[in-house]
Amino acid sequence: MTDRILIVEDDAETAAAVRAVVEELGCAATHAATLDDGVAEATGSDYKVIVLDRMLPGGDGVEAMARIRAGGSRALILVLSALGRASQRVEGLEKGADDYLPKPFEPEELRARLRALLRRGTIQVLDNDLMAFGDLEIRLKARTVHVKRAHVAVSPKEFELITFFARNAGQVVTRMQLLENVWHLHFDPGTNVVDVHVGRLRRKLEDAGSPAIQTARGEGYVFAPLPLAGAGM
Amino acid sequence: MTATRPEDERPIKARATWRLAAGMAAAVAFLALAAMALQYRLIEDRLMQAQRALLTADLDGFATLYDQRRIIALREAIELRAAAGAEEMLLLLDREGRVLAGTLDRWPGGLVASGGGFIIDPAQVAVLGDARWLVVARELPGGFPLLVGRSLQPVDDTLAALRRGMLGLLAGVLVAAAGTGWLAARWVMGRIGRVNALADRVAAGDLTARLPGARSADEFGLLEAHVHTMLDRIEALNHATHHLSDTIAHELRTPLNRMLQRLSQLKGNEDAVEALKAEMRQTVRMFDALLDISRAEADRGNGGGLVPVNLSAIAEEVWGLYEAVADEKGLLPTAAIAGGLQVLGDRSLIAQGLANLLDNAIKYCSAGDTLALTLETAGGRHILRVADSGPGLPPEMRDEAFERFVRADRDRARGIRGHGLGLALVRAIAARHGAKLVLPDVARGLTVEVHWPSA
Repeated sequence: MTDRILIVEDDAETAAAVRAVVEELGCAATHAATLDDGVAEATGSDYKVIVLDRMLPGGDGVEAMARIRAGGSRALILVLSALGRASQRVEGLEKGADDYLPKPFEPEELRARLRALLRRGTIQVLDNDLMAFGDLEIRLKARTVHVKRAHVAVSPKEFELITFFARNAGQVVTRMQLLENVWHLHFDPGTNVVDVHVGRLRRKLEDAGSPAIQTARGEGYVFAPLPLAGAGM
Repeated sequence: MTATRPEDERPIKARATWRLAAGMAAAVAFLALAAMALQYRLIEDRLMQAQRALLTADLDGFATLYDQRRIIALREAIELRAAAGAEEMLLLLDREGRVLAGTLDRWPGGLVASGGGFIIDPAQVAVLGDARWLVVARELPGGFPLLVGRSLQPVDDTLAALRRGMLGLLAGVLVAAAGTGWLAARWVMGRIGRVNALADRVAAGDLTARLPGARSADEFGLLEAHVHTMLDRIEALNHATHHLSDTIAHELRTPLNRMLQRLSQLKGNEDAVEALKAEMRQTVRMFDALLDISRAEADRGNGGGLVPVNLSAIAEEVWGLYEAVADEKGLLPTAAIAGGLQVLGDRSLIAQGLANLLDNAIKYCSAGDTLALTLETAGGRHILRVADSGPGLPPEMRDEAFERFVRADRDRARGIRGHGLGLALVRAIAARHGAKLVLPDVARGLTVEVHWPSA
């Protein structure tokens, strides 16, 4: 069964770009051009994800999220807006958005985020303490990482980093996603501060014998510990 | 938030009241004093003239007698009047200086007879005993000295009484003027104080604050009305700034978004596409920084939207992000972050400001330089300090380094990229939080301190 994604967006060109990404992910896209149409559509049928603009004819998408929830929708909401300053992103997330992507956005960034949301909808809450990818193991309670049974010393931040990677194993993870989810910062620092941290973690894993973290050129990183154990858990 | 309010405002205000009161009292007292002095002179003149008139009459009488029977008549008349207890001073001597008749038993020392007639001029004022006298001393033909005088005691008594009265009056005027002045000054200052209090409230961030009640139909009412008009304008501008920044963001980012989408569809020439994307990201970053600055400046000192945040935790978090970057570049990073320090703030803005400071320091330092982040409490304020041993600021830039779009020429020369907004944003963020930005003089490198009011 294909997942359905609702796009509420008044700019036709942006809507088409979002639709392209959605279809690339193998999902079905529905488009609404005004806020009221969007809210009606969101509450009228079952969507997995809603891509919601803010400055729409009819009002601010962020303010409409409560209406969408009240209408019974259980969709995850990704706000895609030109209101992209840090304070506005935080405001959107605090008001209940599941993710917030500022315009202009790169298709790869949107794809990575939609994938993460779609995945979040399906993944069961980890009911045990262990995430295992072949010979790489992450022990959540002890907060330790092991490669080939040998302990790899990681800093607390690096542990959060590898856990986030592991939850999105096999998928492209962007720098912006890492900054937001691991460091909880919602602004673009300009320099690639994230690369330094990923680079360190990556070297530690490589030294222990696991080439788990790969660079996805122009997009971000992929955590792919073992091709055959892609989703092993 | 604490308003930036001069700490010595009360004393200044009090001084203004007292200065005004003292000024008014002095002015009134001076005028009264001048008027009384004029009157005093006038009265003194008139009294002296009266005494002169009396003396003239005396002399006229003696002149008539002298015309009839010369010295004999004079002697008889003086003897008669002296015997009758005359209040004037009379003395007639013979050629050898013996007293022929008079109220005195000898010629007063220091008094020189001049002229020979019975006219009043020249008359002289002489002090005899403890009183002043208006006297005419003559030597009549044949060598007979004659002295005729009138006491000035009544004049002096009257003038003394007048002086006492005037002094009392002056004291009264001074007190009354000071009192009136103080009341008037207090009233004026009270009216001005209302406007000052309003300005304080506005400075503390309450842009909607207004004075209650109707405006009075005087200059103060007009002043209040003007201040209100000004505040209305500021409020409207502030609102417009907020609205405008959203509109700018929308109108700028939507076309940029279309460009980025089309760029992403281009195949081949990946390096050029990546470079273009980087340029676009840079443009968006610059616009965001500008909008963040104007928003932070519009909200400056406005406590609205600020919540208690853990400054220590933010510092730890951002330091965690940049320490590794500094380390990687070969700098020597150290941090001393006191725990649990709270401020009223916007977490995202504070993190951004600190990130800008650290990013800036790392950008300019070279391998081997130190980079230290300190967070401590001193004098009731939380002090966040970023210190490096890098090249520091060129001396000519010290004053303007925190202005928008200011970049050192040497950076352009060295090819260090930037738009010159990083430190301007830091300043705006500090101002938004009522924090003070300080650039202490250091021997080496650059040290920036942000002094936060503690929550």
